[in-house]
Amino acid sequence: MNASLFTLTEDELDTLVSIAIRRAEVLDQAGSLMANDAWREVMTYEERLAAITPPDEIPGGIARVGAVTAALAAGQRQEASRLALQYRDEESLPEERRAAIERAFREDGEQLAKRFPALAKSGKFAELQELRRRSAVTPLRVFPKVA
Amino acid sequence: MIFARCTRSFGATQLIMQSSGLALQRAGHASPIPVGMDHDGRENKADIMWLSQDMTVLKVLDSNRVTEDGAEAVALAYANATEGWVVKRRLQQREGADWLLGKERRWLALEISGTAVGDPFARLRVKKQQLIANCSLDAERLAVVVVFDAPFIVAGTA
Repeated sequence: MNASLFTLTEDELDTLVSIAIRRAEVLDQAGSLMANDAWREVMTYEERLAAITPPDEIPGGIARVGAVTAALAAGQRQEASRLALQYRDEESLPEERRAAIERAFREDGEQLAKRFPALAKSGKFAELQELRRRSAVTPLRVFPKVA
Repeated sequence: MIFARCTRSFGATQLIMQSSGLALQRAGHASPIPVGMDHDGRENKADIMWLSQDMTVLKVLDSNRVTEDGAEAVALAYANATEGWVVKRRLQQREGADWLLGKERRWLALEISGTAVGDPFARLRVKKQQLIANCSLDAERLAVVVVFDAPFIVAGTA
């Protein structure tokens, strides 16, 4: 994460995330190739907002779900899984927010299945998702880590 | 519309302010213009004021986006002027509402729709249903529809 983000206040981050969401949604609707980058920017602001707001308050809950959904929209499913894992570990995160995170993954999976029906039908898609989920906990490595 | 007081983050609404003036001027209005309002069946009237906008900008802007952004600016100003709600931030589509507003430890999820012409009450019913079905936030909920040709604002709690 960019170091300059750490100096921003919650109000300043609210401004940035508001502008970034609008831009990402406009680019998405236009089918622009830049949409992924725009969603990555949204993810960065949401992640920072999540870091400075309590999980049991409305803005904090929104930022946590927002970071996950923005990561999914940016096509960064591994990052989305990592964030979801981190936020689910927070005991005070309300049940409704946990359900919103689950829903985001389910909807993303449904969208992917529509885009890649053959992969979804053959069951390989589920395997791929499982591999991604596991790799979020234990990063995949080409070579064994040196002890 | 006095945006400086309806948002803590002025920049968040700066982009849509221009659109509200453009949408009103495109409908043939000049500032100030009286606006009719209906909030959960309670009728009222007020004036909308805005800085005059250069209409040539409309040639390069998406017409629907001007209407939607313009409606957002009017609705945010309305929520502030009528009940003192202050803009917190824009929400992602998956939250089922457009904006989060706050005041005194209370939160409001605001869903907004804009139209150049047409029946705002039918659209309000749809927006309220959408809010109930899609917004799971533990917040108060309000739907606002802005019609620019009248101009008219209808609002309903969901």
